[in-house]
Amino acid sequence: MRPRTKPELFPAQCAGIESAEMKKAAISLYVVVTIALMVWGFYQAMYVAPSDAMQGEISRIIYYHVPNASVAFVFFAVNLIGSIGFLAARRNNPDRAQLFDAWALSGAEVGLIFCTVVLTTGPLWGRRAWGIWWTWDPRLTTTLVLWLIYVSYLLLRRFAAGTQMQTLAAVLGIFGALDVPIVYMSNRWWRTQHPAPVFGGAPGSGMAASMLHPFLWNMLAWFCWGVLVLGLRYRVERKHQENAAEEAREALESRA
Amino acid sequence: MDQAAVIDHQYVIAAYTVTWVLQLGYLAWLGFKWRAEKRAAERRTRVAR
Repeated sequence: MRPRTKPELFPAQCAGIESAEMKKAAISLYVVVTIALMVWGFYQAMYVAPSDAMQGEISRIIYYHVPNASVAFVFFAVNLIGSIGFLAARRNNPDRAQLFDAWALSGAEVGLIFCTVVLTTGPLWGRRAWGIWWTWDPRLTTTLVLWLIYVSYLLLRRFAAGTQMQTLAAVLGIFGALDVPIVYMSNRWWRTQHPAPVFGGAPGSGMAASMLHPFLWNMLAWFCWGVLVLGLRYRVERKHQENAAEEAREALESRA
Repeated sequence: MDQAAVIDHQYVIAAYTVTWVLQLGYLAWLGFKWRAEKRAAERRTRVAR
């Protein structure tokens, strides 16, 4: 076991240890609650929710497809805030700018994973409901464009070199976020293949309570899962930034 | 269950499986990346000593 410092001798150190242990315990609790919510959400979607009167069993894809789309939108908004913050702070407060940049990258990458889920579960649903895997419907097309924008954002970060890379990525992140409201509104503005919005659509739209409760459980579960993955990605990026800064400092010292 | 419901069910299982493969695959990649960053930091500390 790790030796513990006596509280009366080193109160500051003990407070540090206790707060680190509290943080660890809180994260562990959050992980357990998230896993429990995912299991509960799956149970609700597969065994509690009734099958749709029109679409039948295939409608159960909604419990994964829509929450993943919603979480993707939220994380692209995280990328937008991080990108704006980076551009605002990069000259006056470089340390804070790095924090914003880490959030921006994490939001884009995790958002892209959720968006990929949407673009793979959607065609599976479409194949059974419409008889086709894909069509150039406005909702599908704008979502694909959104996905491609964030793929290009990550490719830019991966392959562009030099000090301007973060700035260019932040500008691209801001432009990319402009597509999010277009994707959201696309099936309201243009009515083609994709179904009309279930919530906030035409009069009479909505969901029966027996389906709404499983849907909301899955929304909560996927949001918690997303926050967990986003937090992990942020920690990895901060560690990467620390290593890069340390390497740069050592290189400068060895030259001097 | 009729034949259509069975096929629907298979599509639902496929969609849920794809979702979890993507999510857990990404989580595993994050784990590898975290380990690589930690090792790089430890290696640098050892060299500095």
